Amino acid sequence: MKHFLRMFVQVCLYFYCKCLWRCLKFVVRKLTGQCELQRICYNTKPGAARTMKIEASLKGSKCKRLQTSVNVHPDAIEKTIDDIMELKRINPDINPQLGVSLQACLLQIVGYRNLIAEVEKLRREPYDSENPQHEEMLLKLWKCLKPDSPLKARISKQWCEIGFQGDDPKTDFRGMGLLGLYNLVYFAEWDTEIAQQVLTDSLHPKYSQLSKAEWEKKKFDKAIGYSFAIVGINITDLAYNLLVSGALKTHFYNVAPEAPTLTHFQQTFCYLMHEFHKFWIDEDPLDIMEFNRVREKFYKRILRQLQNPEMALCPHFAASESLINM
Amino acid sequence: MCSTEWTQKRCFRALCCKGPPPPRPEYDLVCIGLSGSGKTSLLSQLCSESPENIVSTTGFSIKAVPFQNAILNVKELGGADNIRKYWSRYYQGSQGVIFVLDSASSEDDLETARNELHSALQHPQLCTLPFLILANHQDKPAARSVQEIKKYFELEPLARGKRWILKPCSLDDMEAVKDSFSLLINLLEERDFEPSRM
Repeated sequence: MKHFLRMFVQVCLYFYCKCLWRCLKFVVRKLTGQCELQRICYNTKPGAARTMKIEASLKGSKCKRLQTSVNVHPDAIEKTIDDIMELKRINPDINPQLGVSLQACLLQIVGYRNLIAEVEKLRREPYDSENPQHEEMLLKLWKCLKPDSPLKARISKQWCEIGFQGDDPKTDFRGMGLLGLYNLVYFAEWDTEIAQQVLTDSLHPKYSQLSKAEWEKKKFDKAIGYSFAIVGINITDLAYNLLVSGALKTHFYNVAPEAPTLTHFQQTFCYLMHEFHKFWIDEDPLDIMEFNRVREKFYKRILRQLQNPEMALCPHFAASESLINM
Repeated sequence: MCSTEWTQKRCFRALCCKGPPPPRPEYDLVCIGLSGSGKTSLLSQLCSESPENIVSTTGFSIKAVPFQNAILNVKELGGADNIRKYWSRYYQGSQGVIFVLDSASSEDDLETARNELHSALQHPQLCTLPFLILANHQDKPAARSVQEIKKYFELEPLARGKRWILKPCSLDDMEAVKDSFSLLINLLEERDFEPSRM
């Protein structure tokens, strides 16, 4: 009986989603004189809340022009908005700001999609030791993190000092490719103080209430236990998953007034590295073997934060104030 | 606006009224091998996940790998130098071992792999368990054959009296990998009928 009721509820929900909802939209449009896009722009302030609603509305539209508008090239946005206004029979003279608002939203929507493509391209590019640009970036990473300690050789155990697994970092970039390296270099170059702090902390002896003798007896890891570079590549993986799953839309639509770019993504990475480091210290795990558990917990925390439409993880840029409130 | 795809799926599932499948036996295994040997990629593909964006395993991860006649709960341990010292912590409670090696690795790495395999074969908590040794990366030109690996790793003398399977494999032939695992499952099932267990 319970099974039958559940089935009945699913079937009803299905019919609602397919048919009733459209009828409701039709009725509301007739009553208010405004189409859904207009209602969203008037009732929601600019930022992630508005852009995400506009995106959902466009994708769910029965009109093909609106459905495909989320995939257009950035240069074609202005024309697309004109077409949409015409289709919805909105007079631009009476609603001058609507076009501007819609354009801003569409720029962000299209920008996010293009960012996913750009990030994916970087990720698919494997690290190539024959490529001088890749090698240069790798050496720059060393110089930024360890300016006082010169690298003795390209293949050397010294790489373990910044958290690579062996004497040649190229094998550690698997999975995330060049994207992993780009993010680490950005972090080391633009957030140098924090990056060096995180590196030093990761090599520091672990604080503990056990006496030195007990510590030696249990043979615990002396450091707080993590490898800077490998963790960095894992956090790139985390950021990549957040981006591709769409979870970062809340953050980018709030923080990037126009199209989100690779730089925004890299800044988000820096934020996530720093936050994860603080989270690791708070969690105080026994050693590196608990990494996946701690990472999973951190990921869930970030996802929860991103469910709030007002959320901006690292507001380096405030949402543009030139977007006029309607 | 609600998601029509989600409700469609729930609808179909509810309408089909499928009951739960009969339970399959479960075995706890541990999967070890050097960094880059391909442990995470192999296990992910066995679970029908894409091995495309797999990063180095730091620490360990647990995967339930389904087969037709059993479910293997595999504890996969990272293979980096600084993590290998923790391997023995996770041997407790294992019923079998999967050892993955890169057939095309350097001489030094192969020697390190040999030492690790020998330590595992002799470890008190693993010495009576069945071992599945996978000579991975057979698709690479520099890959050593199974005969070479068997000789270099001295499996015949060293693993005498123990139950082990050595198979070549690569990510582009998952059918062969599944067959190798079936052999391991057979060994695990045999063990179930033994009267005493250590």
